[in-house]
Amino acid sequence: MKRIVKSRELLVLALLVAMILAVSTVNAAVLRPITLINIVNSSLFLMLIAIGQMFVVLTRGIDVSVGAIAGLAAVIFGLALNAGFPLPLAMLAALVTGLACGSFNAAGIVVFGVPPIIMTLGALGAYRGLMRVLTGGSWIESIPQSIKSLAVTRYQSVPLMVWAIAVLVVVLAVLLSRIKSVRNFYAVGDNREGAYLLGINVRATEFTAYALAGLFSGAAAIVFTGQIGFVPMQTGSGQELKAIAAVVLGGVGLMGGTGSIWSAVIGALFLTAIDSMMIFLKVPGSWNNAVAGAVLLAVVVFDYLIRRTVRNRQLAMRAAEMHRAEEDHDRALQPREAAR
Amino acid sequence: MKAASLLRTWEFMLAVVLVLELIVLGLINPSFLNVENLLFSTSDFAHVIIAAVGLTLIIMTGGIDISGVSVMGLASIVLGLAFIAGAPIGLAAAIALAVGIAAGAFNGAVIASTDVNPLIVTLATLFLYAGIATGLPTLLDMLGFVAYGAGGFEAYQYEGITGLPKSFTWIGSGRIGWVPMPLVVVLVFAAVATFLMLRTRFGRYLKLIGVSPAVAHFTGVPIRRTLVAVYAINGFTAAVAGLVLTAYLGSARSDLGSEALLSIITAVVLGGSSIYGGEGSVLGTLLAGFVIGFMRQGLLALGITSDVVPVIIGGLLVGSVALRIGLAKLNTRLANRAAFAAERMAVGGNGASLSNGDPH
Repeated sequence: MKRIVKSRELLVLALLVAMILAVSTVNAAVLRPITLINIVNSSLFLMLIAIGQMFVVLTRGIDVSVGAIAGLAAVIFGLALNAGFPLPLAMLAALVTGLACGSFNAAGIVVFGVPPIIMTLGALGAYRGLMRVLTGGSWIESIPQSIKSLAVTRYQSVPLMVWAIAVLVVVLAVLLSRIKSVRNFYAVGDNREGAYLLGINVRATEFTAYALAGLFSGAAAIVFTGQIGFVPMQTGSGQELKAIAAVVLGGVGLMGGTGSIWSAVIGALFLTAIDSMMIFLKVPGSWNNAVAGAVLLAVVVFDYLIRRTVRNRQLAMRAAEMHRAEEDHDRALQPREAAR
Repeated sequence: MKAASLLRTWEFMLAVVLVLELIVLGLINPSFLNVENLLFSTSDFAHVIIAAVGLTLIIMTGGIDISGVSVMGLASIVLGLAFIAGAPIGLAAAIALAVGIAAGAFNGAVIASTDVNPLIVTLATLFLYAGIATGLPTLLDMLGFVAYGAGGFEAYQYEGITGLPKSFTWIGSGRIGWVPMPLVVVLVFAAVATFLMLRTRFGRYLKLIGVSPAVAHFTGVPIRRTLVAVYAINGFTAAVAGLVLTAYLGSARSDLGSEALLSIITAVVLGGSSIYGGEGSVLGTLLAGFVIGFMRQGLLALGITSDVVPVIIGGLLVGSVALRIGLAKLNTRLANRAAFAAERMAVGGNGASLSNGDPH
């Protein structure tokens, strides 16, 4: 069981490599380094909100507002820049916006007990509306183009933005594996009552998860704006669903308690790669959503089949063990009965 | 007992809210209270209520289906394409409805035969059906179907398929007496769904599954069959909603109804259905649908931009759920206190026997 779960990220990674190789037999241009770099580059936004989403799904929750949070944070970021704030302060504003939105969700869910899907769906509408209210429905375009420097400047032909996120991901991965309280997310998701009885602060853990989802959405907003240099009204629209798809694809179990940051990273890469592969296979772009949906469906059903097989095997093993124990017991009794 | 009586009045509360809302809107703008205007403005949100009625049945079982909004678009574009390809409008509508039922039944089949969260299954099919709806015109082009018009089928993707016959658009813009057709469809669906829910074994099964799938299983409820059926019904209602909207707007589009998701779920939840299943009524959904719909109309009439409307609807959704949860908590507390008082009476005011047990 453990081995399979542990290798789930590797399995999806292998699938990703296999897919790229398969497409390369049709169109060899896929294997050019610049193509691969571009795939990574365009997956950054999804990757960040997926990492945030991961914390929530780990605790067996769900957050469908992350895309809207990213949109709202992007608007704040753009407005702050246009108002003449220095870049670091504007970035801080975007992050704080994300954190505030996430905490608002968390308050409704943890403090008032509103079901996560209802709370975040309501918030989705609210944040999207707020975005339009703040901008009057028009795009934010006159942002100083210097913010694109991170996305445009390349080191070893890889954009600095990609390097930055790569470092961030590695640091996060190390941190997450070192900090003991990170295990709380897993414990709460796996068994809420059990975690409570172990003395884990369940409510604080859940609150943190939604707040982190917001924070990472804010970070994603900075990346997005940095990459394209303006803020369209559709920023982040539909991305919440893709973020959920990405983490599930990467092996974060919806029943909570399994998965890691690599799940989010690989899931996001996979989903972005699919879009690129469609282009190389000359499939019209209008089919992208259908393919993403089919892949998500296939993965969750496949995941169910794996889990069922594992569980059946465990049950069979336990049954065999009980059977053996019974036999041992009988055998132990026999000499005594014979003596009687 | 107390909870039951409170539940029974949730619809009553909604009716009161609806009347108050109409009065307030009427005071601000008297022309709003013109009966003909009022009836006809329901055509703007009839599709939301139709889809919400189907979703009510699903939420009753503790499930959810967010792919309905995609089925609306899918049904719409299928109808349009079938019509353009030369099918008579009746046949085209039948094909569209069949596609809706198939899409719903597919959701149900996956949900019933795996333990995957319905939200995730229908999230995947939300993408899948929306993708098929947008991709279908190009697929037909690629398969070499004869398309009318220079751009092929793909051109219809952006402008929608217009020129639907009068006999079809009548469903969207016609009326029987004073009542516009979309409202007639809404009322028929609400009546049939109420009958299903309250007067048939199927309705009992839905509630039983929602209360406890395990108990339902051991009681001999055919869970799989019931789930597939209820998701198929929701596919059907979503398709009908899509067709009514198509008829109302007079053009078939693949992205029809995609913004309705928030309103649909809000209508169901505000209508008193518990997202955890086992609780809810079609009447509540119907009333809540009107409350939301008229509120939207009223806000727009007051000059509030349509951007703010989702903020208010989202707030309504969260607020109504928080209110219900608060009421339920208050209720439990009151019941506990009553039970405690009753126990005290039973032991003759002698607190000694209670000191061992935990009164809460």
